[in-house]
Amino acid sequence: MEIDLTNNTPVLLSRIGRPESHTLSDYRADGGYEGLARVLRDMKPEDLIQLIKDSSLRGRGGAGFPTGLKWSFLPKDHPGPIYFCLNADESEPGTFNNRILMEEDPHQVIEGLILACYATRSVTAYYYMRYEYPRAWERLLKALDECYSAGILGKSVLGSGFCLDIFPHRGAAAYICGEETGLIESLEGKRAWPRIKPPFPAVEGVFRKPTVVNNVETVACVKQIVDRGVDWFKSLGVPADPKNPRDPGSYGPKLYCLSGHVERPGCYEAPLGITVHQLVDHFGGGVWKNRHAKAAIPGGISMGLLKADEFDCPLDFAGPGRYGCLGLGTAAVVVMDETVSMVDFLHNSARFFAHESCGQCTPCREGTAWALRMLERIRAGRGRLKDLDLLLEIGDTIGIMPGTTICGLADGAAWPLKNAIRKFRSEFEEYMQRTNPSGYQQTDAVPALSSLSHGGH
Amino acid sequence: MPQLTINDDLVECRVGLTVLEAATRQGIVIPTLCHHADLSPVGSCRMCLVEVDSIDGQVAACTLQAEDGMRVRTESDAFAKSRRMVLQLLLRRYRRPDKLAAGENELERWARHYDVPILSSSNDELLGATRYPIDSDDNPFIRVDLNQCILCTRCVRACEEIQGRFVLGVGDRGEHSHIVAGAGTSMLDARCESCGACAAYCPTGALSDRMRVGQPEPDRSVVTTCSYCGVGCQFRLEVKQDQIVSVASHPEAAVNGMSLCVKGRYGWDYVHHRDRLLVPRVRSHVLDGRLRSAGEERSGWVDVDWDTALEVVARNLIRIKQEHSANAIGVLSSAKCTNEENYLIQKLARQVFGTHNVDHCARLCHSSTVAGLSMAVGSGAMSNSMRDIAEQSQALFVIGSNTTEQHPVFGAMLRQAVLRRNVPLVVADPRRIDLTEFATLHLRHRPGTDVALINGIMHVTLINKWHDVTFIDKRCEGFAELCASLEIYSPEYVAKITGVSALQIREAAEILATNRPMATIWAMGITQHTTGVMNVLALANLQMLLGNLGIPGGGVNPLRGQNNVQGACDMGALPNVFPGYQSVTDAAALQKFSEAWRCSNDAGVDLREISAGLTVTEMIEAAGQRGLRGLYILGEDPAMTEPDSNHARECLTNAEFVVLQEIFPSETARYCDVLLPGTSFAEKDGTFTNTERRVQLVRQAIPPMGDARPDWKIIAQLAQEMMRLENRTSVGPDAAWQYADTGEIMGEVARLTPIYAGVSHHRLIQGEQLQWPVRDERHEGTPILHVGEFTRGKGRFHAVDYLPPQEVPDSLFPLVMTTGRVLYHWHGGELTRRSTGLMSVYPETLLEIDASDAHRLGIGDGSMVRVSSRRGVMVAKAHLSARVFPGVVFGNFHFPAASNVNNVTIAALDPIAKIPEFKVCAVRVERC
Repeated sequence: MEIDLTNNTPVLLSRIGRPESHTLSDYRADGGYEGLARVLRDMKPEDLIQLIKDSSLRGRGGAGFPTGLKWSFLPKDHPGPIYFCLNADESEPGTFNNRILMEEDPHQVIEGLILACYATRSVTAYYYMRYEYPRAWERLLKALDECYSAGILGKSVLGSGFCLDIFPHRGAAAYICGEETGLIESLEGKRAWPRIKPPFPAVEGVFRKPTVVNNVETVACVKQIVDRGVDWFKSLGVPADPKNPRDPGSYGPKLYCLSGHVERPGCYEAPLGITVHQLVDHFGGGVWKNRHAKAAIPGGISMGLLKADEFDCPLDFAGPGRYGCLGLGTAAVVVMDETVSMVDFLHNSARFFAHESCGQCTPCREGTAWALRMLERIRAGRGRLKDLDLLLEIGDTIGIMPGTTICGLADGAAWPLKNAIRKFRSEFEEYMQRTNPSGYQQTDAVPALSSLSHGGH
Repeated sequence: MPQLTINDDLVECRVGLTVLEAATRQGIVIPTLCHHADLSPVGSCRMCLVEVDSIDGQVAACTLQAEDGMRVRTESDAFAKSRRMVLQLLLRRYRRPDKLAAGENELERWARHYDVPILSSSNDELLGATRYPIDSDDNPFIRVDLNQCILCTRCVRACEEIQGRFVLGVGDRGEHSHIVAGAGTSMLDARCESCGACAAYCPTGALSDRMRVGQPEPDRSVVTTCSYCGVGCQFRLEVKQDQIVSVASHPEAAVNGMSLCVKGRYGWDYVHHRDRLLVPRVRSHVLDGRLRSAGEERSGWVDVDWDTALEVVARNLIRIKQEHSANAIGVLSSAKCTNEENYLIQKLARQVFGTHNVDHCARLCHSSTVAGLSMAVGSGAMSNSMRDIAEQSQALFVIGSNTTEQHPVFGAMLRQAVLRRNVPLVVADPRRIDLTEFATLHLRHRPGTDVALINGIMHVTLINKWHDVTFIDKRCEGFAELCASLEIYSPEYVAKITGVSALQIREAAEILATNRPMATIWAMGITQHTTGVMNVLALANLQMLLGNLGIPGGGVNPLRGQNNVQGACDMGALPNVFPGYQSVTDAAALQKFSEAWRCSNDAGVDLREISAGLTVTEMIEAAGQRGLRGLYILGEDPAMTEPDSNHARECLTNAEFVVLQEIFPSETARYCDVLLPGTSFAEKDGTFTNTERRVQLVRQAIPPMGDARPDWKIIAQLAQEMMRLENRTSVGPDAAWQYADTGEIMGEVARLTPIYAGVSHHRLIQGEQLQWPVRDERHEGTPILHVGEFTRGKGRFHAVDYLPPQEVPDSLFPLVMTTGRVLYHWHGGELTRRSTGLMSVYPETLLEIDASDAHRLGIGDGSMVRVSSRRGVMVAKAHLSARVFPGVVFGNFHFPAASNVNNVTIAALDPIAKIPEFKVCAVRVERC
C-alpha cells in the first residue's frame, strides 16, 4: 500500500538549500535552540526519555533499534561519567543523508545531540565524523565555535546549569568505524575491531563507561519530536503490525538517499513506508534514459537486492525483510537499469566488503576475500555452476545472524551474495555458459582458487 | 554458583567463568585456536561456536559468560560444518613450510580432527608463491614466517598481557591483515625484549624459536629450574640424545607459568660452548711439586686425570694446613651452584679444612640486606612471594631495582599489576629505567641518597598521621627514637640532598602510605653502598611504620640476583653461620655440628675453637698478602666481580695456591693453579632456592661434557681424598661423604637445618611447593614471613641518618659512576658472553651518558671513551641516553679486561656487611 504524498512537507530538510542555513543566526531565526531551552527549563531528563519512548522513534543508522529503549538501558544513578557518541561515520555505499544534514544544517544536529545528551545525562559527547566529509567537518567546527561563544555548549548550556562538551573526532576512513563498538575502539585510539557484545555500550562503552551511540539523523529526529510533538511524529509512517508484538512500528519522517540510474538522484524526505516505486517515480523522476529498472538495493548495499518486480516493497523497517532482504538499513536506494550485469554488481559488492572487512573474525576476513576471488574468476571467464553453490554456502554461513562473526559486517557482505544469486541465478548461469563454455559444468575441486589470490588484483 | 547443562552434563561453575572454561573443567573439549587460558579472550577465530537455548544462532564459547540455567550444545553436524569452514578458510591462508620446525601444530591437529586437507606448496603447484617473505624479522631469537600465521593474535596479546611490552600489533585490514612489529619496523626496533612469549603462545609456528630451526625432534623433555637470576623460573629442557635442542615453557611452572626471559629461553647455548672445560688441568710447576717464587708467573697448563688432580689439590691444602693453619685456607662458594653443593662446600671448609673462611658473592649483593633485615625483623630473606605482590598489593615501591632487566619475569609481573589492576607504582632510581614508563611517579634521586629519600617519605607519613598505630604498638619497638630521628627530614631538606622535589616526596608518601598493602622491592641499588645496611634499615622502618608486614601484597622484598644466592646463604656458605643461619658462635649449634660431622681424629680441627671466618673481599685481600695461602673457588669469578678489580687481580696473582672448580676458563682461571671441570645446571641434579625462599628441583637433562663431573661429586671426592690422606674416618651421623645422589645430601641438610627440616627431594618431585621455613615433613612451608609475629619477636625500628657516599665528584673526577647489569647479560658474563644470540644483541660494553654531558665532552653516540677513576681505567663505547641524568654515567661489569667497569669502582665497604660501594664512585670521561 502506498503512502499518500500529497501533503508531504520536508521537516528535517526544511532549511536545506538556503545559503546561510548552516549559520547559528540563520538557525535561530527559524526558532533554533528554542526547543532545547524549553526542555532544559521544563523537563527532567527522564521526561525527555519518556517523550522519545512515546514517539516510538527508531534509530536511523541502520538497525532501527528503538531510541528511547536504548537510552533506558543506561545504568541508573551511575556514579561516573556517561558518554555520548554521535555516529557520523556515514560509510554505507549509497548513503549521504547525514552528510546533507551536517553540511547544510549542522545546528539542527547539534541541538538534537544536546537534547539526547541531556536525556541520557551525558556530560561529554564525541562527534565521530568520517574523514571523507571535509565540508561537513569544517561546518561542524564552525558551528561548535558558535555554540561555545553563545553559551549553547560548555559549563552551563543556555544558562540552565547543564554542562556539556562536544569533542569533534575525525575518523580515518574505515567502514568498520560505523559499527558502534568499532567506532568506540577507534575513538579510544585503537584499531577499530568491534567488541564482543555483551557488554553493550550502554553498560561498558567508551573508556569502559556507559555510552550511548546514536546516528546523526536520529538526534535530528529527537529535535523535531521536541519541537513538534509525539502526535505529529506518529502521524507519519507505518503503525506497528498488530500481529507482531515485537514490531514497534515505523513512525516519522525518513531521509531517503536515491542514486543510481534515475533521472533525479538526491536525498528526499518522506514518511517511512513509501514504496521503491514511489521513491523512484515520485521523487526520482523515474529510471533514467527511458530504460527499465532491473534491480535496486533497498537500504545500502549490505541490505541485499530487490528485483524490479519487487519495487512495491515499502521502505519501512519491516518492508524489505518481507522481500528477502536484510532490512531498511540506511534507506539508501540505488537503482540499476536493465544494462547492468549482476555479475559486475556482485563483484563490486564483494570487492567493497573484502576491502572493508576489519580482519578480526576468520569467517569474514577470509570469507569475503574468498568470495571476491571467486567472483574475479567468474568474471574472468572461468566460472563453474558449482561456484554459485559455494558462494551461497559462504553467504549463508558468515555473519552475526548465524553467529559466526562478532559484528554485522559479514552479514552485509552475505546479503548481496544471497540475493543476487538466488534472485538472478539464471543470469549468472548464462554468463558462465557463455564465457566458460568448456568448463562451466566442472565439479572438481578448484585448486586454482588460491593461485588467483596471488595473481588477482 | 551457576548451574548449566553442557551437552548432557549438569555443570556447576563459579561466577564469572565462560562457557568454554566451564566445559573445560568438565573435561569437555571445544575446539579453539585464538583462545589461550592465560590470555584475555577475543572470540575471533570462531572455532569454539556452540549453541545456547536462550540465544539465536551460534555463539563463541570463549567469550560467553556461563549463566544459571543455560543449556549448551557443543557438538552437532552444523558445528562440525562451520568449524570445517573456519579451518578451510584458515588453511587457505596458512602455508605449511616444507620442513616443519616442530611436529604437528595446533592448527594442523584440528585440521586432522575435522578431516580438512592441508595444502602445501610442495603438494599443490597452484598454491604458488608465498604472500610474505619467509623469515622476515632479524630478531636473533624469534623467527617470523607470516605465511603460517592465522591471525589468532595470541602473540599480540602475549606481548601486551604477559610481557607488558606492546611490540606486536595488526597492520592493514581484511585478508591483508598481518602481524606487525611497532609501526612496521623490526621487532628489536619496536623495543622487543626477545622474551619469546609470542612464539610460545603461537599455535602454528608463524613465530618460532630460531634456535630450534633445523634441530631434530627432541626425544625427551626435562623440567628444571633456570640457571640465571633469582626469580626461579622453571622450564623444559628439550633434549635429543645428549644435546639440548631448545628450552620450552612449562605451563605448570609455579613462579612463571609460560613466561620466560631472553636469557632463560634463549641463553642456554653456553652449555655446549666449545670453551667448556672437559678435563682437569694443573700448572706444570704445581705438578712438579714446586712453589712459585715471588714475582714468578704461573707456568703452563697440563691436562691430567681426576685422581691426579684431586690428589694435587688435597696434598697442597693439607700442606698449607700443616705449614700454616686451617685458617690459611679460604673457600669461595657459588650462588650459581645447587643447595646440595653449597652445603657440601661449607661442610668441606668446616669439617675437612677446619675453617669458617667460606663466603660467596652474596657478600657483593645482599649482605647488607641480610644484616639490616636481621637487625630489624630477624630474617634476612624476602618476606613475601612474587605472585602475592603482583596480585594483591595496592601500591608498589621499587627502589634500586631495575626489575624488568635483572629479574625480567618478575618485572613483567609488576607491569601486569599496573596494567591489569592499575596499582600505583613509585619507582625511585637515579636512572630512567624501563619500569618508570609504568610508574605513577619516578623519583630520580642522586645515587647514594636513599636514606634521606626514605626518611623524607616517612617524615611526611608521620606528619599526616598515615602510619599504622595499632601495628606499631602491638608489634614494634623503638618508635619514639625513629620519630625523633625523622624530624629534620622535611621534604624541603630532603629535596636538597636528593635532588627530588619536595612536591614529589609528598606525592610519593601519599601514594605509598595511603594504598595498602604496599610492597617494597629492592635490589643492588639499595645494598651496594657504604650505607647499605642503613638503606635496608630505612626500608624496614618504612614497612613497619605502615604495617605492611606479615600480609599478602606487602613486605620487605629484596630481589636476589643469582639463581641460588638465597640457597647458598641458607646452606651456610657464609663465614659466620652454619646452614640455616645457625651462628658459628652459638654453643648449641656448635655442639650439633661438631657431633654430626665428628671424625675419628680431628686433624687439628675443632669447630669450637675457631673464630668466624673472612668475607669474600677480605679473603681476596688476604690471599694477596699471603695471610691466606690456599683459595678454593667454586664457580665464582672474582677477577671480574670484585670492586677495584686491578687490585683484586693483583691479589690473585700473588696468591700461593688457587683451585678453581668451573665450567669455563673464566677470567679468574688465569690466576689459578688447578682447574677442575664442573658441570652446568643441565648436567646435574639438585635444588635451587629462589628469591622468595622457594626450593625447586634442578634435574639432569644431559650427561656431563667430556670428563667434567657434577660439582657435588667433585667436592665429595676431594673430601674423601683429604680424609684418606689425613687418616680420618667418619664417626658422627652426618660425617661421611658417601652420597648416592643429591637427594641424600638434602636429607642431611634437613636433619641439621631447622628451616629446611621438611624439605626433601621426594616432596618436590611430588610437585609440592615449599618455601622455607618448612618445619617438618608435614609442614607446607611459609609463603609469607612475619605473620603475627616477627622472626625476632618485636620488629625493631632503627633511627638511621643520611651519610654521603665514600667518594663524591670533584674537579678531577667530576661525574658519578653507577653500575649495574643489562637485560642480555648476567654478572661477569662468563655464560652470556658464550651465547651467540645474546652477544648479537649486546656485543660490547656500553657506557650510558647523558647527551648534554657528552656534548660538553665532545663525545658522540658510539664514540669510544676512556673512563678513569683514582683506581683504574675502563674503555667503552658511549651510548647517549636519556636513561641517565646529567652528571651521572652508568657502566656494566659483563665484559672483561679494559671493558670492565670494576676497573674503576671503589672497594669502600659498608662497616657492618662489608659490601662494597659498587653504586657510587667519581670518574672522569674522555674521548679516546
